[in-house]
Amino acid sequence: MAIVGPNGAGKTTFIKALLDLVPRAAGQVRIFGAPYAERRHLVAYVPQRGSVDWDFPTNVLDVVMMGLYGRLGWFRRPGRAERAQAMQALDQVGMTAFATRQISQLSGGQQQRVFLARALVQDAQIYLMDEPFQGVDATTERAIIELLRTLRAQGKTVLVVHHDLQTVPEYFDQVMLLNVYKIASGPVENVFTEDNLRLTYGGRVGFLRTRPKVEG
Amino acid sequence: MTPVQLEIQLVAVLVAVACALPGTFLVLRRMAMLSDAISHAILPGIVVGFFLTHDLGSPLLIALAALTGVLTVSLVELLHRTRLVREDAAIGLVFPMLFSLGVILIARYAGDVHLDTDAVLLGELAFVPFDRLLAGGLDLGPRAAWVMGGIVLLNTLFITVFYKELKLAAFDAGLAAALGFAPAVLHYALMGLVSVTAVAAFDAVGSILVVALMIGPPATARLLTDRLPWMIGGGVVLGAMSAVGGYGLAHLLDASIAGSMATMVGVLFGLAVLFAPGRGVVAAARRRAAQRWTFAQQMLAVHLLHHEGTPEEADESAVDHLHAHLRWPPGFARQVVHRAEQQGLVIRLGDRLRLTEAGRALARHSVRA
Amino acid sequence: MELFADYTLRMVALGSATLGLVSGALGSFAVLRGQSLLGDAISHAALPGIALAFLLTGSKVPLVLMLGAALAGWLATLAVMGVTQATRVPYDSALGIALSVFFGVGLVLLTFIQKQPNANQAGLETFLFGQAAALVHQDVLTMAGLGALALLGLAVAWKEFKLLAFDAAFGASLGLPMRRLDVLLTSLLVLAIVIGLQTVGVVLMSAMLVAPAAAARQWTDRLGRMVLLAMFFGATAGMSGAFLSSRVERLPTGPTIVLCVSAIVLVSLLLAPNRGLLWRGVRAWRNGRRLRGEAVLLNLYALAVHHDRRDHPHERGVLDAMSPEGPTGPALRKLAARGLVRQVDATRWALTPQGWHRAAQLARERSIAAGPATDGEAAP
Repeated sequence: MAIVGPNGAGKTTFIKALLDLVPRAAGQVRIFGAPYAERRHLVAYVPQRGSVDWDFPTNVLDVVMMGLYGRLGWFRRPGRAERAQAMQALDQVGMTAFATRQISQLSGGQQQRVFLARALVQDAQIYLMDEPFQGVDATTERAIIELLRTLRAQGKTVLVVHHDLQTVPEYFDQVMLLNVYKIASGPVENVFTEDNLRLTYGGRVGFLRTRPKVEG
Repeated sequence: MTPVQLEIQLVAVLVAVACALPGTFLVLRRMAMLSDAISHAILPGIVVGFFLTHDLGSPLLIALAALTGVLTVSLVELLHRTRLVREDAAIGLVFPMLFSLGVILIARYAGDVHLDTDAVLLGELAFVPFDRLLAGGLDLGPRAAWVMGGIVLLNTLFITVFYKELKLAAFDAGLAAALGFAPAVLHYALMGLVSVTAVAAFDAVGSILVVALMIGPPATARLLTDRLPWMIGGGVVLGAMSAVGGYGLAHLLDASIAGSMATMVGVLFGLAVLFAPGRGVVAAARRRAAQRWTFAQQMLAVHLLHHEGTPEEADESAVDHLHAHLRWPPGFARQVVHRAEQQGLVIRLGDRLRLTEAGRALARHSVRA
Repeated sequence: MELFADYTLRMVALGSATLGLVSGALGSFAVLRGQSLLGDAISHAALPGIALAFLLTGSKVPLVLMLGAALAGWLATLAVMGVTQATRVPYDSALGIALSVFFGVGLVLLTFIQKQPNANQAGLETFLFGQAAALVHQDVLTMAGLGALALLGLAVAWKEFKLLAFDAAFGASLGLPMRRLDVLLTSLLVLAIVIGLQTVGVVLMSAMLVAPAAAARQWTDRLGRMVLLAMFFGATAGMSGAFLSSRVERLPTGPTIVLCVSAIVLVSLLLAPNRGLLWRGVRAWRNGRRLRGEAVLLNLYALAVHHDRRDHPHERGVLDAMSPEGPTGPALRKLAARGLVRQVDATRWALTPQGWHRAAQLARERSIAAGPATDGEAAP
């Protein structure tokens, strides 16, 4: 599912509120019927790339293994099993060759794929991704889409904060339009209409008229 | 009040005003900690100047020390530019090094000069009235008052002349550069001003109080207003209040004047943090509470609208079942209904709720907006 | 007399080394989390704690004073966190205010103590600049005990702290109690600062946190090694500072230690492999030279293509004019030494067959690089 809306609409805040990272004004998050706190291990989070310091002294493999810290528990260090899991996740995003690379030496797309691998090792049911397509190269974009399809085929749910309206019908089954309030949500073919988009973005959706339907 | 006490307070107020003026722009540009760095790092400049002039009030000493201050800022920038260390780490590297250099210079040659590191760090306002400016046998008052008065004048002049440039640079340095305002030149001019002010003031109040007076009053004023002129004015007034109040406190406790002034700065800041209209902690808590109720009422209205005219309306609009449908605690649900009734959003018909026209409008607006 | 001097030196060196070890380790995390100046605020803020501890207990036992200092430093940190979260006061302003106001309160308390008739307050002021020479056995033991506690805490929650420093939001999404970890790590930082106050004083303590970490960061790209290296640098600076100040008359220990650690930073910034400025300069120079050579080769190639003759000789003046970097003489001679070009006569140069192949290869690479970006290669 794509979460779409103009800048400042609260897409990132929505994701963070789901994850208890920011206080919610009201409401509660239930995952498969149970409160979020009990089902936390079923949710993997991929933050925006810009949210961390990429000059941090660590390498790719280490970052990916961070995805396992929650399961490892206190005091335990990641061992051989964890390394193997991390390498497997790196393989899924085509980054095995970079495992020992210092993270500051990665391109934007590679950084994004490291973050995805870190979420993959969590082996979750629900993936929350904040702008994974932001400023990545074509290879990474293809890799992410491939990954999204794989996850969908495995029956997992993926929520993606997205900003490129043109690719929504191609990449996603469901969409949620957000601008401070939820405007609409549901299957792309029902919800992703010009009327709803105008409600979300005001008058600024002219390009949809010129390219009425993207194939997919 | 004796003339001596008046003179001390006069100097204290002048120091506070002189510090608040450039301090405002440090706070706005998020460079507050540079005041800490500069006020410490000028020490070697002061020491060398003192060796040359043997006079803490000499213009040469002030110029030398101010130059050290600007040098500090350039060093920090140079280090930061290498991209090997972050800016805050660069500050944390440069000023202790220069300060250590100053302390060592003093220790090595302490026998020859009357310069004490404690004095530099802490200052002593109480001694201010003993150093008088004499012209042809005429007593013109404490010399510090004239020096600080001059600095106040200099700072006022600078800010008046370059007001719009400073404002723009504080708001958007990139735009300022694009418009040809040479923000780098302005930046260093401001840092020079901060340094001159710090040097002139350290003698009276010590370098730590310089930090308190440069950051505290402007940051407090920032909590009270959104307009730059008011912020500058507020900083000046709050600084002066800290000076006078601090003096009173020192008198009361028979303790360090500089320390008491810093304490007053903290008290005023703390009051503003708690009670500032609009953005104090209390106001924010109130707003959040109000927001919660507004939000809940919107939810209630939307819920009722959603089920209006549907078969399950009777069930969904029952007061006693609201908490189940909206997942609200029962007590909370009762309060929300009560408030919504008071505001004319809903009316109660038996144990069921009906939206009024106003409530319907709110619900539609909430879904749309 | 000799024995006494040795005892003093031993105590000072041990104390300074302990301080260096602990502040190097905790400082690494502070620097990585962008809290380099928090240490400065905490150490200044410790002053009222020291004064109050003395005022309340009348004791100058190091543990009591250190606990007071830790409490005040911790309070200041909480105040900074609280104010920046609750209002829109920027972090740096909040730090500056906490630092100067707490220090001011400390001054008030100190002068208040001085006015007490019976108080045996001598020595409290040494916390301003530290007085390593006055360290005795008991001080060093206290420092070592608290230091061991801080390092143990760091080791126990090592991977959690790493996550906190790198990506706290992600850590929270894993269900780790990031806020509590934040408070815990900050408390360990406070502990590290308190250990150093007696030796280097409140004003210079922040340098002991920032400098070893900043130096260590240049030598390695791994957190573990960075922390170990920072501990080593901190201890080295502490011991050499203590030694120097004991050998040279009127050389105060705290500032000397700070100058030593600053020297380590300077050397690291310049000489550390990879990141060091010297290496960077050499790399840039080599790159520039290689690129200039390639540019000349490509120019010759373009001319040769233009004239339809692989070994067509060209005037140096033409090549100079085509090169934005000025004269091409040195570059041509280097290329000649590699057998890629040859001098035809006094002023004219031509490609050799190898030169032609190399240039053609370069031209192909360039046209691919200039085309649509394929996979993002490593960023520079």
